[in-house]
Amino acid sequence: MIKHLFKIIWKRRKSNSLMMTEIFFSFLILFAVCSLGVYNFQNYLTPAGLETNNVWVAFINFNTSSDTAKMEYKELVSQQLKRYREVESFSYTSANAPFTFSTMSNSFAYNKKKASSDVITVEPDFPKAMSMNITQGRWFTKADIAGNFVPVVITKHLAKELFETEDAVGKVFGGGEESAGSKKMKVVGMVDYYKHKSDFQELDNTLFRPSEKWDDTMVLKVRAGSGAEEEAKIVRELARLGKDWTIEIQQMDEMKSNRNNLVLVPVLILLIICGFLVFNVALGMFGVLFQTINRRKQEIGVRRAMGATKGAILWHFIGETAVIATFGLILGLFFAVQFPLLNVFDVEASVYLFGMLLAVIGIYILVGICAFYPSRQASVLQPAVVLHEE
Amino acid sequence: MIQLKNIEKVYRTTTIETVALNKVNLSVEKGEFVSIMGPSGCGKSTLLNIIGLLDEPSKGQVEIDGKQTNGLSDAQLASFRNQTLGFIFQSFHLINDLPVLDNVELPLLYRNVSSAERRRLASEALEKVGLSNRMKHYPNQLSGGQKQRVAIARAIVGQPEIILADEPTGNLDSNMGNEIMDILLTLNQRDNATIVMVTHDENMAKRTHRLIRLFDGSQVS
Repeated sequence: MIKHLFKIIWKRRKSNSLMMTEIFFSFLILFAVCSLGVYNFQNYLTPAGLETNNVWVAFINFNTSSDTAKMEYKELVSQQLKRYREVESFSYTSANAPFTFSTMSNSFAYNKKKASSDVITVEPDFPKAMSMNITQGRWFTKADIAGNFVPVVITKHLAKELFETEDAVGKVFGGGEESAGSKKMKVVGMVDYYKHKSDFQELDNTLFRPSEKWDDTMVLKVRAGSGAEEEAKIVRELARLGKDWTIEIQQMDEMKSNRNNLVLVPVLILLIICGFLVFNVALGMFGVLFQTINRRKQEIGVRRAMGATKGAILWHFIGETAVIATFGLILGLFFAVQFPLLNVFDVEASVYLFGMLLAVIGIYILVGICAFYPSRQASVLQPAVVLHEE
Repeated sequence: MIQLKNIEKVYRTTTIETVALNKVNLSVEKGEFVSIMGPSGCGKSTLLNIIGLLDEPSKGQVEIDGKQTNGLSDAQLASFRNQTLGFIFQSFHLINDLPVLDNVELPLLYRNVSSAERRRLASEALEKVGLSNRMKHYPNQLSGGQKQRVAIARAIVGQPEIILADEPTGNLDSNMGNEIMDILLTLNQRDNATIVMVTHDENMAKRTHRLIRLFDGSQVS
């Protein structure tokens, strides 16, 4: 029967080519959307490595260019914060605190291996404020800062890139070419996960080093249930400490949600466009199939007369459409498979393979739905009627 | 072989009721070659469709090869058509996208017959109608007479006991028509096939064993 279907499809290759082209393009669009979906979903499932619940980010502007004054002010703020029952822990950080829109990166080298990484300067209480787990070693302390090396904590991703399979803790390494001459860094601890851009972020390189004197951003872990009232009180009282200071507090949950939206909105737009295109393709396919079946009524009558059951007619037309779809898919897969082979966008091959699988399933479902109704209509045609139609 | 008892066929719409067949009784013996004649619209094709199980009578019973066909399921009817009946149509009804050999194989496609066996049986059937040299041609590369011979090959490839021919010479000139008639007569005489043929051609009808005349849905002789 398959050979029989192939013969008919081959003979009608010109009229089938339109449907094949539609399926080819639909597959590519679905493949792109599915791969993007799989990529983001996979990242979403990866642990974040930090907690944003009941975490606030304070952006403080001391309005001074003097480092000494800034240090004093920072100490003043710290002392004040320690008085609040609501604040469980806090840490100054560089401006690129989690889920802010600032970035800071540098390149690092170890034994001729180079890696570029995000860098965030934090205080020893940062992991407490962010509920982070150290998987190897420990977080740096104030005592470490006075040592010969800059104590750093790195992510597992960076450790793998710099030290491959070697144990990262205890390794001493330097900055890239531009920071030659500066103090060497020593790894004191490692974290497995640190997703600081969004929930859909791929795990990447991050290096935590001790806070610098100019850091005026702050993360605060507050007691559960602390809300706008407590926030306003803290802002008001901190602002009283210095007359030109400006203080703004944001909830990290909301900041994360904003960053997540930056990923989700384009995906959603792409999904809507894809849905619209696929819907149009489905309508087109539906129309083409109806027309095809209308043109082949007498053939249906002959097949019924020769012994085909209604079911045989139904599956004949669904089968024909499935074979045409398979040709379109083979062509589409040829292009899609280039993505993992050429490592386009530096994404894991499994993402593309999953994308392909989902797109193939999607196309077959689409084809099945589009083919079912016209094929069913074909199967219930009365042979006695259609055989006498001109 | 074929027993029709009090067959009635009425086409109903919301406003009109058209009686296509009115209490037709017919009995055709095995090996008989029967022709059905009558003016256009008298119910000849309807009768043939009912015998061929392509249509259901409104009333009456159809018995073929000793088996009651009323109330059979779609699958049973399809199997019955496939095993017992062969069809020849005035407009040939060949599938233009398939070569001659594949057209002839069509009834075997709905049986559990291997590809090689289908090929062998179809080649034999085409040989019987003198078209073994046209197996790979497509229907649109054949003349009307050749197309009808392909249709006959398709009708006999499954070795059915009954062949139903609906004006098989209607679209052919007299020479071609005679050729087709000769083939049908040979099938009847040599293979003992039971043939029921609808025709408008008196000369063709005279060559059959028995002539049945219909008028306004009723059997008049």
